[in-house]
Amino acid sequence: TAGAPPPIPSPPGRTSRYERPLRRKALPPRTEKMTVDLDWPSVYPVAAPFKPSAVPLPVRMGYPVKRGVPMAKEGNLELLKIPNFLHLTPVAIKKHCEALKDFCTEWPAALDSDEKCEKHFPIEIDTADYVSAGPSIRNPKARVVTLRVKLSSLNLDDHAKKKLIKLVGERYCKTTDVLTIRTDRCPLKRQNYDYAIYLLTVLYHESWKTEEWEKEKTEADMEEYIWKNSPSEKNILETLLQIKAAEKDPEVNKEELLGTKEVEDYKKCVVSLKNEGDNEETLSHYKESVKKLLKLM
Amino acid sequence: MLTRTSRLVPGARRARHGEQHEGLHYNIPLQDMRTLFPHSLPPRFSMQVKTFSEACLMVRKPALELLHYLKNTNFAHPAVRYVLYGEKGTGKTLSLCHVIHFCAKQDWLILHVPDAHLWVKSCRGLLPSTYNKQRLDQPAEASIWLKNFKTTNERFLSQIKVQEKYVWNKRESTEKGSPLGEVVEQGITRVKNATDAVGVVLRELKGQSSLGGFRLLVAVDGVNALWGKTTLKREDKSLVAPEELALVHNLRKMVKNDWHGGTIVLTLSQTGSLFKPRKAYLPQELLGKEGFDALDPFIPILVSNYSPKEFESCIQYYLENSWLQHEKAHTEEGKKELLFLSNANPGQLERLCAHL
Repeated sequence: TAGAPPPIPSPPGRTSRYERPLRRKALPPRTEKMTVDLDWPSVYPVAAPFKPSAVPLPVRMGYPVKRGVPMAKEGNLELLKIPNFLHLTPVAIKKHCEALKDFCTEWPAALDSDEKCEKHFPIEIDTADYVSAGPSIRNPKARVVTLRVKLSSLNLDDHAKKKLIKLVGERYCKTTDVLTIRTDRCPLKRQNYDYAIYLLTVLYHESWKTEEWEKEKTEADMEEYIWKNSPSEKNILETLLQIKAAEKDPEVNKEELLGTKEVEDYKKCVVSLKNEGDNEETLSHYKESVKKLLKLM
Repeated sequence: MLTRTSRLVPGARRARHGEQHEGLHYNIPLQDMRTLFPHSLPPRFSMQVKTFSEACLMVRKPALELLHYLKNTNFAHPAVRYVLYGEKGTGKTLSLCHVIHFCAKQDWLILHVPDAHLWVKSCRGLLPSTYNKQRLDQPAEASIWLKNFKTTNERFLSQIKVQEKYVWNKRESTEKGSPLGEVVEQGITRVKNATDAVGVVLRELKGQSSLGGFRLLVAVDGVNALWGKTTLKREDKSLVAPEELALVHNLRKMVKNDWHGGTIVLTLSQTGSLFKPRKAYLPQELLGKEGFDALDPFIPILVSNYSPKEFESCIQYYLENSWLQHEKAHTEEGKKELLFLSNANPGQLERLCAHL
């Protein structure tokens, strides 16, 4: 039995071997005593660093030396550095949910599909709350409010929709038709929420108004190609007029010329060419329509 | 195995080509080459002409299509514009040359601009225009073009008479009714007035082709240069826009379809174009919005890589001229290798065979 060392009077400045307190031998790690069906949330109840003696998994991490394997978990700094979610296993989360259920209300039974949710509640608000153990409960990240709404659920006509998209710019996604407004300029979440709703209201009303200077919208501002009054229309009209003049055809009527089937076809081809860009299909349609129009065969 | 004589199309002199001649080569006599193309062949092709001491063009579908349209043109209608487009090295310029040769044989007046890109880059000696203060002249390019125009169209220059009086400077002027050759001479001798001479020539030809005295073919290679950007700068280092160059301005008026009595055949070219990505070959990419609107309506014609028949024919041509010296060149495997390496692209194939 390792008892206390015998008291030997020693000269000052000299420590003999026996006086240094004996170190306890290292206990076996906790993993050896773990059963398979143990209650894991009690091992990791909160976010804690990785304890190799408490985690029964044989994980390895690290870049191996030549002809070696990654380092084992004992004394592995890499495993300590990364964040681990051992405190948030599904079992633990279920327990959290059970505890929170007492504070929740029921989901309304009538809203059982996505379409119904969208129809009755088109605006979606995203907020985040942060809880941490620390001296203060405030977290500046909690003031961010994101407002998402689909433009199809707003009552907008063609001009209003185009104007709204131009006003918001980057915040509109064309593929999903969703307008996203993210506010964080006020210090409180409630203020940010009010500001986001205010922005939506202002955008809606402004886009319905037409200003004086909007009449000066040039071709470069247009979002898509419009056939009416375009150079293409003028060109084709001139060409057709010249053809008619050459054939000495006195009955020349602009609307009639523009209304023929060939011109309709040509118009469709030009619009698709300009809006979709060049590819083999659009170009060959265009070619056919021009050939028919100019009566070349 | 196709032999030489059966590959050469009969009636090449009269330039009658039909669909059965697709894939075959036909010979252009060297005399014609000198008159028609004094400046304008792509450099590799003219080297090939010199090496083989004969000029052979392959008859291909795009050119045949164009010839078919040309034969059926109604000259009372406004001039139709055809745009040849395609990837790099597929044979647009040579198809244009084929069409020019055909028209020359039919006795049309040829207005050929070999490469419009040359007019918007690296020009020395830009002068402010004498005719219009805001525009700029390019005497060197204009006089070169006038010389070549004279070589190509000798016989028309005395037939066509100018319809207005043109005053060049205090001492020289061209009277109404004098032959067009005088204007051309004036441009060549007095280099300062060369650009204005070009403008006059273009205006006269446009006006008079509608009267029906002759048929006019306007052939421009690299037409996308007319609507792109230039790399030319004035003395105060400000960039010049294309419409401020008198040559470009006049040429743009020429390719508009407000005249009749002829046709306009154009090629798009990325090689030599400024500020356009290398892979761009589609009309809207190269012409831009302005160019497309100006040329609309036009007929786009795609020039693609060789079909298997054309590829075979090209290899045969090289073999018979003893151009391919590699021993495996005439085997099936060799041909497959060449096909794979060049992807049936005529320009690429020509470069590869040059090494063999």
